[in-house]
Amino acid sequence: MTIGVKKVSLTRTTRDQIFLPAIFEGLLTTAKHFFKNTLTPGMGDIETIRYGDPDVDVKDYYPDRFRGVHRLMYREDGSVRCVACMCCSTVCPANCIAIEAEDRNDDREKAPLSFVIDELKCVVCGFCVEACPCDAIRMDTKEHMQPTETRAEAVLGKVDLMSRGGPSVAVQGGVSPDYRAEAPKADPRFSHDPR
Amino acid sequence: MTANLRYLLLSLFTLVGLVLPSTGCGDPPSGIDTQLEIRTEPGELVFHPETAEIEIAIVNNRDVDLFVGDFRIEGPDWQSFAIIDDIAASALPKGAKISLRIKANPGDFVGPGEHRSAVRRKGEASGKVGHNEFRVGKAQLVFTVSEPLQQHESFTQSVQVSFEDPSWWQQYALPAAAKILMLVMGFIMPLASLLTWMERKQSAMMQDRIGPNRANIRIGSINLRLWGLLHIATDGLKMLFKEDFIPKRAHRALYTLAPLFGLIPALVVFAIVPFGDALCYDGLFDTLSQADVDQCAAGRGGTAMQIAHIDVGLLYYFAIASIATYGTALAGWSSYNKWAVLGALRASAQMISYEVAIGLSLVGVLLVYGSLEPHAIVHAQMDSYWGIVLQPVAFILFFTAAIAETKRAPFDLPEGESEIIGYFLEYSGMRFGLFFLAEFIEVVFVSALLATLFLGGWTLPFGLIGASGFTSELAAQLFFAGGGALLTALGVLIWRTGPGGELVGGAIALLGLGHLFLATWSLATGWGTELPHLAIVLIGMLTWGLKILVLCWLQLLIRWTLPRFRYDQLMSLGWKSLLPLSIANIVLTAVVVFFMMPSADRGDQGAKPVRDAAGNPLDARVQLVDPSAAKSVRQPPTRRPGQ
Ligand code: SF4
Ligand code: SF4
Repeated sequence: MTIGVKKVSLTRTTRDQIFLPAIFEGLLTTAKHFFKNTLTPGMGDIETIRYGDPDVDVKDYYPDRFRGVHRLMYREDGSVRCVACMCCSTVCPANCIAIEAEDRNDDREKAPLSFVIDELKCVVCGFCVEACPCDAIRMDTKEHMQPTETRAEAVLGKVDLMSRGGPSVAVQGGVSPDYRAEAPKADPRFSHDPR
Repeated sequence: MTANLRYLLLSLFTLVGLVLPSTGCGDPPSGIDTQLEIRTEPGELVFHPETAEIEIAIVNNRDVDLFVGDFRIEGPDWQSFAIIDDIAASALPKGAKISLRIKANPGDFVGPGEHRSAVRRKGEASGKVGHNEFRVGKAQLVFTVSEPLQQHESFTQSVQVSFEDPSWWQQYALPAAAKILMLVMGFIMPLASLLTWMERKQSAMMQDRIGPNRANIRIGSINLRLWGLLHIATDGLKMLFKEDFIPKRAHRALYTLAPLFGLIPALVVFAIVPFGDALCYDGLFDTLSQADVDQCAAGRGGTAMQIAHIDVGLLYYFAIASIATYGTALAGWSSYNKWAVLGALRASAQMISYEVAIGLSLVGVLLVYGSLEPHAIVHAQMDSYWGIVLQPVAFILFFTAAIAETKRAPFDLPEGESEIIGYFLEYSGMRFGLFFLAEFIEVVFVSALLATLFLGGWTLPFGLIGASGFTSELAAQLFFAGGGALLTALGVLIWRTGPGGELVGGAIALLGLGHLFLATWSLATGWGTELPHLAIVLIGMLTWGLKILVLCWLQLLIRWTLPRFRYDQLMSLGWKSLLPLSIANIVLTAVVVFFMMPSADRGDQGAKPVRDAAGNPLDARVQLVDPSAAKSVRQPPTRRPGQ
């Protein structure tokens, strides 16, 4: 079987050969855009977002899933939600989260004594947010990390991170603080009760 | 700026725009009182040593038929002037004009020694002149005007006649220097730099982008961006401070000279472009007739608004414009870079293909208007139609070829930035800036030439304005109402563009409201047919500038719309389309011009006696003028209802 070749006729019409009608059409199109964009108050057809303009709030344009500078959320009593489980620092591909744990003194959880993110190393992957079991770390600020004069300024500590934070009403650990008491009794048929 | 403040400002501007003119600040000047005397054209005769004779026309612009006669020369130097064809007395029906010629005898004014009748102002030193110098002579042409039925109602009228020999300095050097300064520093350079911004901003607007808008200036707390206009200054500064790089093996002398070869011809060709009719030094605030302005255009008592009045006109342009190609070719060759040489070769080939078409496409225009001199061509267009109406094919051919001459898209092969970067590949800093500027100056020049040859130069369409004012009250009202509406709309639009727009937009809207006021003023009082000379000159220059601006805009529009031609396509367009078409245009035009030409110009001199309304033959020199157009100064010779 031979492969057929489709022949496309390339003959030009007189109109094509004169050039001028097509040129005028083209000029009309571009002129239309020109006048629409110059004479319409505002931006006309221009869709460019002028990032960085003082009178433009980029937060209006970013999608909700945009990953900005980190923040640490706090509980109703104002203390940090983080339980220093190290999930985020473990999963972080850039290895830029450093957490030092301390006792929270409530018989249950730890708390971060210090929580440091080096934003210069961060690759903004968002894994830390995914890994966090208690909605303690978020990247929903829609803020870019601003340039700093020294490297040290780009390393954000607990206070900086919490200053951007807000109260989170998510149930700690996915269940209430009294989860141990409320935990359903294990079904003796299927598992061995360790107690 | 808050919305409230904007509206406050807007209403303030509106109020000022309406009140200011009515309080007398914008009081339109009143014309001369034509009821007292009849008009002579020109209103004052100025002789130079090389002036052979001057024709003066006496126009009856009153409502009654008159007699004129008893022409004589009086005054201190009466012996040195002579009336060539004396008229004893002649009927001058209303609206008609009669002309006679005056001659001066330069020998009477030549030095040395003190001349008895030399006119000196008080306090001036004695009128001693050197051996080969002329002194100033003054006299009056006096004649009597009377109504035929009331002989005793006659009065005499006098016209100033003077003889002077201004120094070369006064006559040529000073006006030329002033005109060059004004044109180059006041128009070409600003417009060329504006085009660097316009090119980027306009292309952005055509492509739905924002374009340059970052450069700003901070005055107090206000941050002005002015739509990116300040980029002009920042770009210039950037160019100046860039490293001036010369390739190691480049030919240093030619490499340095090449940008000048590009820039200087582009500037020098502007010498032949007329940017107005003429400026009369003495009559700036008087209403002048076309004859006055013509006398000033000839350099007597004024100066033509054109740097050099050269009879070969357009040939000068062709000669100089070709030199610019040397800049391109030398730049490419001296850079010692193969891509630059390729660009230079392309430039030379392109120029050869287009120079021929450029020259031939204009021959049709020259045939129609019968002159090579741009100033004369504009005058010819005033009398008939604009070139774009009579020579539409030549317009398109010349426009195409001229764009190729500017080396810009769709003919930017020498540059070819996507493949060979072009002839200025190795240039940096302000040397590159000169090439860049030369390109934009050429754009301005092409626009200026198109405006001059095809769009009536400094004149308004439909003969709305003549040398003494608008040709009719309706013309004045149309002009001011149209201009006012446009300016006001533009001002409001600019106002709404945002910060910084309030001030500029407000000023433009204010100007527009002033125009609208003048339109209503003209409706109410019939003002507008007699304007001061200065106003006419300014309107003419503005019209000229506006035409050029629009044509520049059109060129940028074309440059950002059409893709580039391939090398062989360009050659075939030049040689196979433009050249045959322009030759066909010449032949067709020549045939049409020959058959349309008034019979008198073909050697068929059938002069018939002029008769008045009753059929009585008049003095041969009396021309009957259309009474309805009695106020209009210029009369094309073919429109004589008496014939
Ligand atoms: S976003 Fe990614 S790189 Fe940045 S801190 Fe979180 S896990 Fe680490
Ligand atoms: S994963 Fe969440 S709770 Fe665990 S250390 Fe990181 S921020 Fe704290």
